[in-house]
Amino acid sequence: MNKPIRIALTKGRLEKDTVGLLEKMGFDCTAVREKGRKLILPVTDANLEVVLAKANDVITYVEHGVCDMGVVGKDTIMEMKGKFFEMLDLGFGLCKFALAVKKDYNFYSGYGIKTIATKYPNVARSFFEKKGMDTDIIKIEGSVELAPILGLADGIVDIVETGTTLKENGLEVIENVAPISARLIVNTVSLKMRQNEIEKLIKLIEENIK
Amino acid sequence: MKNYDLITPEGTKDLLFGECVVRRNIENTLLKLFKSRGYSEMITPGLEFFDVFNMKSRYFPQETLYKMTDSKGRLLVMRPDSTMPIARVVATRLKDAELPLKLCYNQTVYRNESALKGRSDETVQAGIELIGSEMKMADLEVISAAVDSLNAFGLEYSLELGHIGVFKALVDRLEADEADKEYIRKLIENKNFPALNDFLDTFGNTAVTAALKKLPALFGGEEIFEKAEELIPDENVKRILDELREVYRDTAEICGKDGNITVDLGLVNKTDYYTGLIIKGYLKGHGEEVISGGRYDKLISDFGYDIPAVGFAVNVNAVSKVIERNGILPAEPSTDVIVFAEEGCEVAAIKQARELREQGFIVENALFGDIEFVREYAKEKRIGKVVVVSCEEED
Repeated sequence: MNKPIRIALTKGRLEKDTVGLLEKMGFDCTAVREKGRKLILPVTDANLEVVLAKANDVITYVEHGVCDMGVVGKDTIMEMKGKFFEMLDLGFGLCKFALAVKKDYNFYSGYGIKTIATKYPNVARSFFEKKGMDTDIIKIEGSVELAPILGLADGIVDIVETGTTLKENGLEVIENVAPISARLIVNTVSLKMRQNEIEKLIKLIEENIK
Repeated sequence: MKNYDLITPEGTKDLLFGECVVRRNIENTLLKLFKSRGYSEMITPGLEFFDVFNMKSRYFPQETLYKMTDSKGRLLVMRPDSTMPIARVVATRLKDAELPLKLCYNQTVYRNESALKGRSDETVQAGIELIGSEMKMADLEVISAAVDSLNAFGLEYSLELGHIGVFKALVDRLEADEADKEYIRKLIENKNFPALNDFLDTFGNTAVTAALKKLPALFGGEEIFEKAEELIPDENVKRILDELREVYRDTAEICGKDGNITVDLGLVNKTDYYTGLIIKGYLKGHGEEVISGGRYDKLISDFGYDIPAVGFAVNVNAVSKVIERNGILPAEPSTDVIVFAEEGCEVAAIKQARELREQGFIVENALFGDIEFVREYAKEKRIGKVVVVSCEEED
């Protein structure tokens, strides 16, 4: 048997959805379901080794080739960039990046430079760059919704799922920035050096997400 | 003010002892290999004018360049690449030289990589440039040098071929502006199938969009050529594919059982730079390519001399990393003899040590006043022989 293919999963919801997908494909994921505190777990019948990591780290591990593939949200890919193949839209983890402001605030009025609070400064910057708009971007780590309410920012660029949090805090989406879903990424060298195994796996995944 | 006097800048590091042996071994092996094929070495300055790298098509985004100014306030950069400076020399001092020119180099390039990604800002590249020949034999010569380079490290490797012409022929038939074409190129380079499919759908369902959608999937062995011909009914593309297939077959034969030869028609990086063949080399256990090259027939014309060229560079740092990770760290050559001078006999001892070195031994001069310390030192460093020099003997 070949060395197992290492796949890094973003801990949390994407991890659960991916494990669900692997089980649907007919693989036994007991070890991953009963992981305890372990971070590297085998899926023996698929010759896979699951690595559990934070979203940004999934990209780092795949980029360096210490993991052959990874499952990570498009949000992280857009923010981090990097060199890897983005081969499949897995169709789960659906949400979107959106620009939200205080209800009834006219964001595009006036000459003043607007201030944007976000956890995703690169996404926000390139969004406004495309519009040819200068903005002040402030990185916020926690609940970004606070920034416009407290008067720090004119708007936020953030992930929106249902919009409930925004509504409850008196904010509303005025523009969609980009749709988000989970992606299967593959290291550029692994795809070439282990083409048959990886292509087989990708084909099987494709059949099971349709 | 904070002092940074005890550390090196991000993306750089000190190499010690065994690490230097690994690095020099690779450099020497490659240079010897290139020279044994008739390539002549060039060394270009570490500092160049920014303009050399700021041609019509900007191959190097300015944010990746280390910049400074000279005494006249002109913008300088730390060389980010060796091919452009060599093109500059070829178009100037070597303009009247007989063609083809076969040049090789082994020098450091500097790029400001994004922080904390574990990448090196200072990378040694050893490579060749074959300038002034469009022949298929020139492509094969460079490919076989790449095969031999990969083979020299004794590790499992894979060499990949591509041709930028396939993508260019297809995308030229698409009614799209430059920005859209660049976006499509990027999606193909990243094998981003979902976004590529969505974006190409906006151009309608034509033979060209269908072919472009499939392009990033066209990688593997020789079967790719049949698949590609089926998918892409285009005269120009067919001609390119036939040429590439011949090169592929020849390469597989040159390489024999030593390594794995593959083809990827979705290799579309640096489209402004490359005009034909693209070469990439991989070593097992490294997440990025260790060899990168191809044909760049328009590059030297940027400097006013219109001649074709083909070449590649080996990322020496990457190869060192793989070798070190595989635990094949060679030891430094160890000392054979230590020479101890009795008091007042230093000159005689130094002369004797020199004589021993001339005989081919590695010889240290003892730096202790007491012979007992010398013996202990020799024992610890496993130096086989201690020579004691007293003045009477020397007379």
